[in-house]
Amino acid sequence: MPNQLVAQFTLAAENVGAEVHAIADQQELTAYLGKRIDGPLLLAPCPSLERLDLPQVMEQAGLNVVIDNFREQGAVAVAGLTGANFGIAATGTVVLESTAEAVRIATTLPEKHFVLLDPQKILETADQAVPLLHKFHQQLPQAYLAYISGPSRTADIERVLTIGVHGPSELHILLMEGLSDDPMER
Amino acid sequence: MNKQERSRHYQDRVRKSLQKPHLQDTLHRFADAYVAAREAAFAGHDFEALRVAIGEMKDQVRDNLSRYQAEFVANAEAAGATVFLAQNASEANAYICNLAKERGVKKVVKSKSMASEETHLNRALNEADIETLETDLGEWILQLSGERPSHMVMPAIHMLKEEVAELFSEVTGKEEPAEIPHLVRLARKQLRQAYLDADMGITGANVAIAETGGIALVTNEGNARLTTTLPKIHVALVGLEKLVPTIEDANRIINVLPKNATGQLITSYITWIRGAVPCADESKELHIVLLDNGRTALAESPHCRDALRCIKCGACANVCPVYQTVGGHVFGHVYISAIGVILTAFFHGLDNAAELVRACIGCRSCVAICPSNIDLESIILHLREVIGEEEGVGAGKSLVFKQVMRNRKLFHGMLRAASLLQKPLTRGERTIRHLPLFFSGLTDWRTLPAIADKPLRDLWVNIPQKIDKPRYRVAFFAGCLNDFVYPEMGLDLVKVLNHLNVEVTFPMEQSCCGVPALYSGDRGTAVAMAEQNLDALLQDNPDYVITSCPTCTMALQRDFTDLLKDNPVWAEKAQRLAAITLDVSRFIVDKLDGKALFADASGGEKVTYHDSCHLKRGAGVWEQPRQLLSDSGHELTEMAHSDRCCGFGGSYSFTSHPDIAREILGDKIQDINASGASCVAMDCPGCLMQIRGGLEKQEIAVRAKHTIELLAETLS
Repeated sequence: MPNQLVAQFTLAAENVGAEVHAIADQQELTAYLGKRIDGPLLLAPCPSLERLDLPQVMEQAGLNVVIDNFREQGAVAVAGLTGANFGIAATGTVVLESTAEAVRIATTLPEKHFVLLDPQKILETADQAVPLLHKFHQQLPQAYLAYISGPSRTADIERVLTIGVHGPSELHILLMEGLSDDPMER
Repeated sequence: MNKQERSRHYQDRVRKSLQKPHLQDTLHRFADAYVAAREAAFAGHDFEALRVAIGEMKDQVRDNLSRYQAEFVANAEAAGATVFLAQNASEANAYICNLAKERGVKKVVKSKSMASEETHLNRALNEADIETLETDLGEWILQLSGERPSHMVMPAIHMLKEEVAELFSEVTGKEEPAEIPHLVRLARKQLRQAYLDADMGITGANVAIAETGGIALVTNEGNARLTTTLPKIHVALVGLEKLVPTIEDANRIINVLPKNATGQLITSYITWIRGAVPCADESKELHIVLLDNGRTALAESPHCRDALRCIKCGACANVCPVYQTVGGHVFGHVYISAIGVILTAFFHGLDNAAELVRACIGCRSCVAICPSNIDLESIILHLREVIGEEEGVGAGKSLVFKQVMRNRKLFHGMLRAASLLQKPLTRGERTIRHLPLFFSGLTDWRTLPAIADKPLRDLWVNIPQKIDKPRYRVAFFAGCLNDFVYPEMGLDLVKVLNHLNVEVTFPMEQSCCGVPALYSGDRGTAVAMAEQNLDALLQDNPDYVITSCPTCTMALQRDFTDLLKDNPVWAEKAQRLAAITLDVSRFIVDKLDGKALFADASGGEKVTYHDSCHLKRGAGVWEQPRQLLSDSGHELTEMAHSDRCCGFGGSYSFTSHPDIAREILGDKIQDINASGASCVAMDCPGCLMQIRGGLEKQEIAVRAKHTIELLAETLS
């Protein structure tokens, strides 16, 4: 029942402050991004996105796309765009194998994180992700795996929930079909 | 610092904390929000099963610690990490400071790590002239204010936004408004450059996974991700108790931790790191410092070792009435609240734990909420015994316990004498409203009941019991309060049980259950009392032993067997008594099918019910008295926080912490009043003494009654 999982995922992700939208293609994506960013966008190296020819499409649309030198660019970039390995419906989580430093910088330093997820790759629970975690650890001698659920938050002052303390203050999860059906692929 | 000085300092801190109403407001509001959020987060989950599984898994690690440690080290090193085992805090700090010096580190960013608080790492880094910046918002605030965390998960929960604004104004050099979004934004801006400039990032870990050699971090702010990504060196300071065997086990903890810590389904970020991951076209330098610092000693302590199961969720503070009253700077050292008492004893020495061990009121709310299934209260009681043995339980108490309480005739003789001596104070009434001189503090906020003219034991022979063929013959264990202060409650118990065709006996050799001595750390007296009572209660081979005081119930059901388990003469007797001991409400409902028996009763009063700590969380009884009250025709209305402690705690409210007890009682009175009931029922004479005293003193027209009294009323 993929539709039910998508609905559950969407609700849970929205409950923790993420935005979830269905995106049909590159054009819709660039339009979505164009409305929300006005500065450099870090496009992280993600196999699931490579087939989309994004740098070219986005540049044509007038977006300022950065594809390397993230350490320097990260400090000034306004957004990061990544793929995702899979999602977890119970908690509205996106999981990113983030061993490549560029992925980590694109998802930590800029204000906004846009993540493209194929809705086929939504699992129901965190327990179902455990075999995949095993697989990552078998494949990668060094591994940095990130579960991301909503934007950065804090309640450290008077317990008042406040968004965007150190990490991104916006998390946009863009569901795009046909992106990838392999949870080992980001 | 000697003992007297230490105690004075501590009492001083208690007093000061009680003068901060905003602290109590904050912690109470948090507690309410937490309980609701947590319940929602665990909806559809079997918390009991989850925590049993975590406890078992952690025990397995503890029992095979060297094996899992070796597995972790081998896998971490294979992935490019350097692992150092620090025996104590100074070894850990020295390792990190030396590493920093060798690598020419000038600036360190840290994400929140309780282990680094434990070792006072910041102080060591400062002394080594290494600039260190806390990046967790709460920790940064505390770094600026020079304080330590007052909560494991929400370190700056004690501070107001105005205080934070003042601290931040000093940083920026201009006046910053006390608006939380602005302050959070400001922290983001101020700390951002530090991540980029820092040469070293220091984190803790929530789990260390043996089968992968990796760690996982559970965070909300995203600072740990930056701390582990940007600087070229990553040091993870990890307590040995964080080891888990597998990814499944890590997942098990991560599933429960945010739910139980803050009522979140999951935190914003779960970060799994294994090995020296890429960093600026090279590999990161990863050092994992495994910290012992008392943990293997704790693993060897049969009474205390369950504390190593702790996953540091902080829930034991969230629900603790003492924490909610005085905060973590008083009820804590580095680690706070119930688990803090225990960890302080092992990580920071018995001396630092001594006052805290006595600050626990013993309500067991932490035990009920612990996600690792730790019986925190029992461990704290054990530590109280240890401290009692090391430091003595106090001359006055020692005299009472050893010389008086162990000798039943003398003890009861003194209680009878007290009944006469108190006459000038009672003015012929059943309660004492004022006490002279330095005792007056005890009647400032509650009246105290007078000791009865005649104890229950003297009245017993004259109680008629006409039962031809009793269903059961039960022995009544009255406990001191029922016997000497509230004998009428015993008469009511007989009346109700006779009505239900049960004959009640009163073994005259019974005496105090020994809990006051045990809870004060005098195990020897507790053992002596257990033996006396076992002989007395089992003598006539009753069908059941019935109690009206849940603390006595726990003594008979739990403490006697524990105290005597290694004694072949007594162990069997203690088990036999435990098996036939029941509190009276449970006895009526479970054994007599009391429901039908009160069908004709017409209570007709609006009654609210207070759950006594030891009845609900000790004996596991809370439905039965409610059932009896509604079956006997009363309208039951629930108060808020019905199972929150009333602040009695035996000697807690008389000698050790009357100030805290008064505050906790104040909360309870408020909840009773707000329920709109005209009567509050409970199943504990101690709670009754406290609550009735508070209601009387505040002149609130709500009756406080033991359930058995209300049942007897309906039979009149």
